[in-house]
Amino acid sequence: MTVCGYDLRVLLMISALWLSAVQVSAEMAPLGDEALASVSGQGGIYLSGDISINELGGPVQNSYFGRCDEADKKCGARFAYRLKEGGGWMVLDEIKGLFAFEGLTLRVKTVDSGFGGDGELFNRDVIEIGLPDSVRFTDVQFKIAASSTARPTDPGFMQTDILSVEMQGDVIMQGNLLVFPDGNP
Amino acid sequence: MRCNKDLSCSDLLFGLVVASLVMAQFAHADMVQLDDAALSEVQARSGITLEMELNMTADRLSYYDDGQGVHVEGLRVGSASGQDNGAFHRIKADVGADASLNLEYLIADRRIEFSDIRLAGAPGVSMGGFFFDHSLDGVLTIRQDGGVGGNGYTFDSAYTMTGGRLGYRTNGNSVFLDDITMNVEALGVTLDLVGNTLEVNSPRVTGNWRIGAIRYSDDPSVYGQALPSFGSFQGSYELSSWTGISPGGRSGEGLRLDHETTIHTASFLYNDDGNALSLRDITGDYQIQDLRVDVDQDWSGRPAVALTLGKLQGNLNVGAVELGGASFGSVNLSFLLEDQLFNGRTYSNAVYLQGGGHRDAGPQGMRLATEWSLRLADLSYTEDGHRVIFSGLQSWGRGDLTVNVTKDEVRNGTRFYNGLRIGFEGLDAGYRINGLRVGSDDAQLQGGTELLLALGFYPAYEFELDGHVTLGAGGAAGEGLTVNSDIQIRNGKAAVIATPYDEGAGEVPQKGLWLTEMSYDGQIRDMTLDVTEEGLVLATGEAWSSMDIGNVRVGSKDDGASFGRLQIQKYEVGSTTLVKPGGAGDVCVGGTGGAEATCGASGGQWEARGNEGVTIAMNKILARAQGDDKKNALLWESNRAVDGQGKPINNTGMRLLVNDIHTSDGGDFNGDGVDDNTYGIRTDLSVDVYQTKVTKKTDGPDSLGIVGNQGDEKIMVPGSTGGYRYVAEPGPGDRANRPLGFAVKAETRFKELSVSNIDLVHPVGGHQTVIYGAKLQNVDIRANLTATPIP
Repeated sequence: MTVCGYDLRVLLMISALWLSAVQVSAEMAPLGDEALASVSGQGGIYLSGDISINELGGPVQNSYFGRCDEADKKCGARFAYRLKEGGGWMVLDEIKGLFAFEGLTLRVKTVDSGFGGDGELFNRDVIEIGLPDSVRFTDVQFKIAASSTARPTDPGFMQTDILSVEMQGDVIMQGNLLVFPDGNP
Repeated sequence: MRCNKDLSCSDLLFGLVVASLVMAQFAHADMVQLDDAALSEVQARSGITLEMELNMTADRLSYYDDGQGVHVEGLRVGSASGQDNGAFHRIKADVGADASLNLEYLIADRRIEFSDIRLAGAPGVSMGGFFFDHSLDGVLTIRQDGGVGGNGYTFDSAYTMTGGRLGYRTNGNSVFLDDITMNVEALGVTLDLVGNTLEVNSPRVTGNWRIGAIRYSDDPSVYGQALPSFGSFQGSYELSSWTGISPGGRSGEGLRLDHETTIHTASFLYNDDGNALSLRDITGDYQIQDLRVDVDQDWSGRPAVALTLGKLQGNLNVGAVELGGASFGSVNLSFLLEDQLFNGRTYSNAVYLQGGGHRDAGPQGMRLATEWSLRLADLSYTEDGHRVIFSGLQSWGRGDLTVNVTKDEVRNGTRFYNGLRIGFEGLDAGYRINGLRVGSDDAQLQGGTELLLALGFYPAYEFELDGHVTLGAGGAAGEGLTVNSDIQIRNGKAAVIATPYDEGAGEVPQKGLWLTEMSYDGQIRDMTLDVTEEGLVLATGEAWSSMDIGNVRVGSKDDGASFGRLQIQKYEVGSTTLVKPGGAGDVCVGGTGGAEATCGASGGQWEARGNEGVTIAMNKILARAQGDDKKNALLWESNRAVDGQGKPINNTGMRLLVNDIHTSDGGDFNGDGVDDNTYGIRTDLSVDVYQTKVTKKTDGPDSLGIVGNQGDEKIMVPGSTGGYRYVAEPGPGDRANRPLGFAVKAETRFKELSVSNIDLVHPVGGHQTVIYGAKLQNVDIRANLTATPIP
């Protein structure tokens, strides 16, 4: 599983950079826009807006799914997968909610300075995902469950709900997520 | 370009009238030609009238240039209704009091045709044949003294053409414009010889035209109205032009053309079963400099009629693009075609016309060895008064285009389809866009060309292209278009994100996220295109493709670091797309409510995005796998072995395969034994150019030195440094000057999306399944997003 290890390494690097940006930023001086001007490549886009999932319900109308004003029906989305052939299904059920954000940016830039001197040593091109300062969660919820069938309408359907998650409020997301290739392509 | 076509038709018809007169002289050799003096003696009477039935044939008409010939064969002028009948001509000649020669002519049911155009040195192949049927009724007045004095002439011409039919025929199959009517008035046209240049100046040409149908026939004897039609077209125009014709080709003998046209006003309508797509309030101008016509050879030494261009520049404005009474907005295009260096190679603008077409389609067809160099173009789109400019578009390329009219058959081992086949052979081409400007032409250049990805365009793309697109007559019902195509791309380099190639200090290498070493094979079968009451509808019968991206690179497209290989396979059956005018209208962003007050109360922002814009409704049916070629799948490969040159070798690394992605309605409801799949993934996308809220993300000066604090809003201030400032608490006046961007209102919903399996594939150990099936059900995602360039 050496290759698999490589994959994990990339993910770990991405995660490490994210964590560096989000949590360890106190040790570094974040680059201002002016500092960024010194790096090449100022293209990119700035995104704002909101995304809702099944705010009023989904398109399926049957004995299990319905609109959100139907008390005896589920109106959220459902995701089921299984890790064993012929086995049961792990399920994320009743997925719904609203996310609103402002100022998510996406661009490619060269990092050749900053980061306490590490940038000069790094000297590579990266994809920079500029995180929005805050993301507002409104009625975001889902359930984690185990099910006997992929579809809740399949014969013999049984489901055990394990836990429910609900999120409200603002999440502060500052800093940048830098994504770059590493290792053997 | 349409006006150029109209002018050409005008010139052609004028030439036909003059030719008719010439032919009349030949046909009545026993008659005595009257000169001006003689005519002047009969002006008191009603002039003279010539009537004749003209039926003329010629086996070959040849033109030689520096000893190289082009031959028009099978030439015939006669009646359109019978091979042996003559075309009726009546010409009344009179001399006016100002010594002008006045001609009234009536030409009924005439056909001019030829069967082949051949080039010496290219035996056995021809460019195909043309035919032109028409009736003409008009007047022509000729006076001495041109526009610059001396021995020139002045013409006044007006005519009506009816019953027109213009066709192109190869190997027995034809595409023809049917039921053409045209009214043209050109007054004060002057003809002068200045130096060695014949100058034609048309100060005012007005007219209107209509093509009742464009039809396809696979039987040379059948041209009836029952044949399927692409639809009908009509338009009107008022323009002025100047043309200079002088001797001398690009090499030795030949012809030089210079031309200028100003379009004062024009319109264009496409009708499909009574539903119109219209371009209104068209204005513009263009100038052709140093266009040479030679009989020569192309860069491969193949004999050809060579059209080589020095320079073409122009500007085209379309005031409104409308469909069903609603408007998409307006479009402006400025362009300059001229020699330019791209990727270390100089490209020019040239077309070398040759016979033959696709080698398997038969001996008749057209091959255009083509090279182009679009040095600079700006394309702007304006809706509800908001303008976005895609600035610095450049394109270059070289290769062969082939044109054949083909029918549904396998011929010489190649599959052909009914219609006009446009083929691509060894087309090595590319394009790139420098950036966006919003508001005005002199606004600051910004990034953001990535937004074009939503429309299926890469911001920059280089590729080698082979394949064809065949345009058949008839849509899903009645008139319209049916498309079959097979496209292959090799050595593609496409940008997903790209920085400008020129930020004002000269050309620099573009950095970005690139899909390189890309090959693509895509097939489309029976895709119909119709204009309906709802909008422009594309319905695909079956489409499948495979895009194999050797490296996904960050930074430079040539040697940027790579994430590895990515392969994307698509397979759709019965997908549809509807494009209609009008954007999102009134929208509550970040909140809920159908009115401004309720939206604001919920914490949302009310936006009135106007009546113009674009809405796209897509219904993608992802079909279940039908083998390895036809399926929806994603494959990512990395850690590949390398060859002797250090290039990764595909299928030697570890692969992650997401296999057989498909949609379903969630069950077998019609009892045919398989899950129904009619709902697919439905996406409604409304796009507007609209003012958007952009806030500063850090304290201090930004990339242009404009100072502000985190959270301050960017407000546009034309004329100020950078063109904007940051405002902590913007008032209503400030909010009216928010920066422009693309506002997208989207809704995506599907009943069920499944993945059959997710595998890890080891180069030696083979497949190991990680996920034994996944299903995502009952999804409805709605988004209000605004996308603006980062300055």
